[in-house]
Amino acid sequence: MSLLGDTYTLFTREMLIFKKNIRVSVVRSLIFPIVFILLLGSFGSSPKNVPVALVNYDGSIASLNFINALQLGNNINVASYTTQQQAMSLLAQGSVAAVIVIPPGFNSDPGSTPTVYVYLDNSQPQSASVVSSVVSKVASEGINNGPTSPVSDPSPGSISVVSDYAYGAGSNYESFVVGGIIIMVAAFGSMFGSGFTVLSDRELGNLKAFLTAPINKYSVLLSKIAYGTVQSAFSAYTALVIGLLIGATIAAGLVGFLELLWVIFLVGLGFGSLSVALASRTKQLQTYALVAQTVTMPMSFLAGAFVPVTLLPGFLQPLATFNPLTYAVNATRDIMIKGSLPLSILISTTIILIAFTCVMVAIAALFFKNTSEQL
Amino acid sequence: MSEYAIQIENLVKKFGDLTAVNNVSLNIKSGEIFGLLGPNGAGKSTTINMILGLLTPTSGRVLVDGVNMQQHPEKARQEIGIVTQETVVEPELTAAQNLMIFGKLYHIPASELKKSVDFALDLADLNSFKDAYAGTFSGGMKRRLETAKALMHTPKVLLLDEPTTGLDIQNRTKIWGLLRKINKEQNVTILMTTQYLEEADQLANRIGIIDHGRLIALGTPAELRQKIGMSTLIEASADKDDLPKVAQAFKKAGLEPQVPSNKVVAPNTGKAVDKLEKLMRLLSESKVVVHNISMHEPTIDDVFLKLTGSEVRDQTGEDTSRTRVLMGRR
Repeated sequence: MSLLGDTYTLFTREMLIFKKNIRVSVVRSLIFPIVFILLLGSFGSSPKNVPVALVNYDGSIASLNFINALQLGNNINVASYTTQQQAMSLLAQGSVAAVIVIPPGFNSDPGSTPTVYVYLDNSQPQSASVVSSVVSKVASEGINNGPTSPVSDPSPGSISVVSDYAYGAGSNYESFVVGGIIIMVAAFGSMFGSGFTVLSDRELGNLKAFLTAPINKYSVLLSKIAYGTVQSAFSAYTALVIGLLIGATIAAGLVGFLELLWVIFLVGLGFGSLSVALASRTKQLQTYALVAQTVTMPMSFLAGAFVPVTLLPGFLQPLATFNPLTYAVNATRDIMIKGSLPLSILISTTIILIAFTCVMVAIAALFFKNTSEQL
Repeated sequence: MSEYAIQIENLVKKFGDLTAVNNVSLNIKSGEIFGLLGPNGAGKSTTINMILGLLTPTSGRVLVDGVNMQQHPEKARQEIGIVTQETVVEPELTAAQNLMIFGKLYHIPASELKKSVDFALDLADLNSFKDAYAGTFSGGMKRRLETAKALMHTPKVLLLDEPTTGLDIQNRTKIWGLLRKINKEQNVTILMTTQYLEEADQLANRIGIIDHGRLIALGTPAELRQKIGMSTLIEASADKDDLPKVAQAFKKAGLEPQVPSNKVVAPNTGKAVDKLEKLMRLLSESKVVVHNISMHEPTIDDVFLKLTGSEVRDQTGEDTSRTRVLMGRR
């Protein structure tokens, strides 16, 4: 029997326990993303009749058609103003969530791309995302006179306008957040699957039983990582399905869906290894839970899982470069929002996460050597 | 099969400047039941962990069925079945699943696995519970399952670390029966540690006593009793506050009392009845309340007390805490 054979035996053991507790796992996998979704306050509450100030400097038929189209579905409530200054002051007060400006000459030159300017109040992200998605949708349909493209501009003063590509054409805020959540759920799922069971096995004395069996002790580590990856994938795939049901979309379609499954798997593998590395030196379950959270939470935020990295404090931004989750989150944005994941990025993301896994497995193996002496 | 199931040669383990095991040599013959005794912190667990290959000796070596544990741990472990202090059955798995997984870990061929599982279930007398989750089992059932689990790969040596701690007398007797049976029928060598000295007395062919990291006594239970030169013992129990007074009376009666936790014990020398009579008189004169006074043959408890100056149970010596602290740091 080999390292792999023993690993497989121990893995089947974990899976038998997993199967026995499948109901708990399902509930946890459902609760986890739902709680995060509620915490982030973006789902199930897409506001209706969002107040929007509109300034139409053009007045052409096309522009009027555009405005009518915006109002279909009652997602936004458009009020017209004559000057941009007037509209912007309402935005500053927070009485409208966005200002839409149709510049003069909106439809004058059939050869050029018509442009509208949207100023979003991102202190009201839900409303802003509704406006953003409505405008994008209407713009992409190209009213009467071919395609139009909305452009978001930075605005002066206390209100900054979100200019992240998350709000580009064909996207919605749900897709943005779900992309972050599935990666975070994958990371947390592994933390609870791999490292957690190392700790509980240590407490129960199972670890001693494994280490006194005629097996390669590294098979214990590998089986835990394998199990954590399964647990993580289970949770994150559930989260993805919930996200899709709630309204997130995958711009890259079926291929994108498969790519997401792959990226989630890699994150589970990497964080399973990280969690085993952490667990190999930790003796108490409470300590482990604390350490696991203090590692995973900041890493998720630094990766831009919920807020674009560009909105993080400046001194934190360079850290994102060294965070493997950043690449996973960026990949989900490419897949879910931009519409395609370039092959080169798929490969580089895979390499980065596999490298992360290898480093963590090495660290875990190094530390685990010593823990066999202190069960 | 080699003549010795376990050979321990000049085994030393140091934690920093504390020597937990100090030059222990011990040969356990194939087919015998050997009881390893010692107060907590005496180096008993450290020795067991080195036999299991969980600790690397500072010097010396351990051979299991002639195989060096440090050099070929996987081969040596194949010949050991282990029942640890903690009951290690997985509560989320059925009895049969628990056995199945460990059968695979001990590399029982797939073709024989089912037979081995059935054999173990028979041994543990758990046939009718094979598909029940181990979490629903009583302490005794778990312990039986674990013992059978340790035997299913037909090891040459069964190592039991306090196998009956926390069990009631009925379950303890069942385990004892199980151990005697496999020792006799399958010639499995048994090495056990225990804090129940009567257990060692009843089961073991030979006993070794470890204290302060050294093997201080080795022999059959009868030899050990003889060795300490005790014919009979006088023992008196009283309230803790009264013990010094009782001890005083023992001394006046010409006895050499030892005071472990809750009683006064003295080996009887000379004419037993005279001494006892004198002692009774002195005790009644001193008006101390004695709950019980008895004269009996020495047990392993008494041997242990005489040799180590302490009782095997409820002992938390300085060495214990120190060993723990030092081990915890590694």
